[in-house]
Amino acid sequence: MKSKDLPDKFGFYGEYGGKFVPETLMFALAELEETYKSLRDNNEFQTEFYRDLSQFVGRPSPLYFAKRLTDHYGKASIWLKREDLNHTGAHKINNTVGQILLAKHMGKKRIIAETGAGQHGVATATVAARLGLECHIYMGTEDVRRQSLNVYRMKLLGAEVHAVDSGSATLKDALNEALRDWVTNIESTYYIIGSVTGPHPYPMIVRDFNAVVGKELIDQSKELFGKMPDAILACVGGGSNAMGIFYPFIEYDEVRLIGVEAAGEGLKTGNHAAPLNDGTPGILHGAKSYLMQDESGQVKGTASISAGLDYPGVGPEHSWLKDQNRAQYAAVNDSQVVEAFHLVNKLEGILPALETAHAFAYLEEFMPTTSQDEHIVINVSGRGDKDINTMAEVEGIDL
Amino acid sequence: MNNLGKVLNHKKLNDEKVLVAYLVAGDPDLESSLDLMHLLVEAGVDIIELGVPFTDPIAEGPVIQKAHDRALKKNTDFKSIMNLVNKFRISNPQTPIILMGYINTFVTNKKLINMKDNGIDGVLVVDIPGEFNLADYEINNKKIDSISLISPTTSDDRIKTIVDQSSGFIYYVTLRGVTGSSHFDKSEIEFNIKKIKNLSNMPVMAGFGIKTTEDAAVLASYSDGVVIGSSIVDLIDKNSDKKDFESVKEYVTDIKEAISQ
Repeated sequence: MKSKDLPDKFGFYGEYGGKFVPETLMFALAELEETYKSLRDNNEFQTEFYRDLSQFVGRPSPLYFAKRLTDHYGKASIWLKREDLNHTGAHKINNTVGQILLAKHMGKKRIIAETGAGQHGVATATVAARLGLECHIYMGTEDVRRQSLNVYRMKLLGAEVHAVDSGSATLKDALNEALRDWVTNIESTYYIIGSVTGPHPYPMIVRDFNAVVGKELIDQSKELFGKMPDAILACVGGGSNAMGIFYPFIEYDEVRLIGVEAAGEGLKTGNHAAPLNDGTPGILHGAKSYLMQDESGQVKGTASISAGLDYPGVGPEHSWLKDQNRAQYAAVNDSQVVEAFHLVNKLEGILPALETAHAFAYLEEFMPTTSQDEHIVINVSGRGDKDINTMAEVEGIDL
Repeated sequence: MNNLGKVLNHKKLNDEKVLVAYLVAGDPDLESSLDLMHLLVEAGVDIIELGVPFTDPIAEGPVIQKAHDRALKKNTDFKSIMNLVNKFRISNPQTPIILMGYINTFVTNKKLINMKDNGIDGVLVVDIPGEFNLADYEINNKKIDSISLISPTTSDDRIKTIVDQSSGFIYYVTLRGVTGSSHFDKSEIEFNIKKIKNLSNMPVMAGFGIKTTEDAAVLASYSDGVVIGSSIVDLIDKNSDKKDFESVKEYVTDIKEAISQ
């Protein structure tokens, strides 16, 4: 089966994906899948979605030639897909704009979401505010601390932020808590998952809504450099920004797809968040995928400077792409990310999110393998205002 | 026939309600779990459900989540749980034991589940879709029943499929929510259990959120028995310091009496 046609009718990408959830949720997943399938090819729905993307989000996002960064490496031309310029500052809004339309069609009055870095929480609170819907965001207490700017933004938007203290108090635990809320309030509530993770049909829905990024890039590449990109780089936590930009290119074999995971303190230390590099297939949050787990099947703790990548699992379609060798997955550690963060600020006048800085950090290793006649694209998944406190702390600066 | 089949048959013949008790293996430690298992049987428990701790138990409310965390801090793993079962079986060969937990640890430890004569009578995997069979995940032991959950939101079509894939008994989830929640809709529970019983000959146990003897008595009147989890786990936690679990015994004895009337 071609990757383009996945997932299959049970929600699997090869052996990955599926719906591993408590029985109470099965009906809601079926309801969601039915709604999505009926609306996916509906002209009115698509018109509404694209109008919101254009008028509310500000799409299309530009494809920008990073001249000084290109000169710095002296190899392939580096282009930036500017998702950081979207309303709310990241790619996350593409998905929430789409999913809130599903919620509206399903008549749901209450919206819940999990968030790590807070970008998905902000994007969810934003679309809920716009429709006047009650909104609850689950966020690990550790992330509430390190992403306090986004917590305040969510509150301004009228959302209630629930700090989650269980487990490792990060993204994984926020997801657990959101799932528990959903089980409890199943009939009234729409759960907007923020990445290409979770049970089917979420990985498919989130991918499809984010695929607008890759679709735009096809046209922009032809227009600006007259061919397909030679390679596309994107950071991978759950993997929604990467999946969105990769997906329309899967069928173009000449385009290299490269995901960059968070190696935290280093892959060898075990303190990282890089399941595709150093994990094994397992089941978490309703889907089978590569997972950081121990020999007895317990999920391991993660470490990353970036809250948005600090997750032990990854979207099932990435696991499929890895096993098929259609995408490659690298990893960079925290100190490389900090260097890249500075470099992009200084050379391009762009403040990338720490998540996004992972993709930039991989250039050090990747660029020497490219040539001057090539064009590569980095998905600038989000802007880094939210990370100022973390960076100041890392560098011992008192703001 | 395994222990579970024998107990369920016996109960049916005598027209008695079944009492299933849940505790998390390794909470507060494995020695206490062993004592508690015997104590529960003495108090009148018919079937023991041993929770296998998992880092991310998404169907559990706060009480059982914390018990999972405590057990994991004591390094409770599948192997040590099997040792616990072996020790229990030395003096109690007959009380059915069901392992309840999450698919990731069950798949990882399938060899232990598939082992012959391991003392286990049933498994209940919370996050396996009801239309799949455990054999699809290479968990395949003829002596072990595969128990499934049916919830208030399960469609009629699915009830049929789930029943076909299950053995032992059906665990009817009495509410929308995680373990330990409250707010029953009694007429809905009665209606749904009747529906399941029309489609299956298996006994139906009611669980999730049963706290008081009154809850237990009412739900037992609609079903073949009840499952008590969070209340027991909570009492275990409150008495873990002194490891004096007399109050657990009293509570379970009261429940037993309530459902036997």
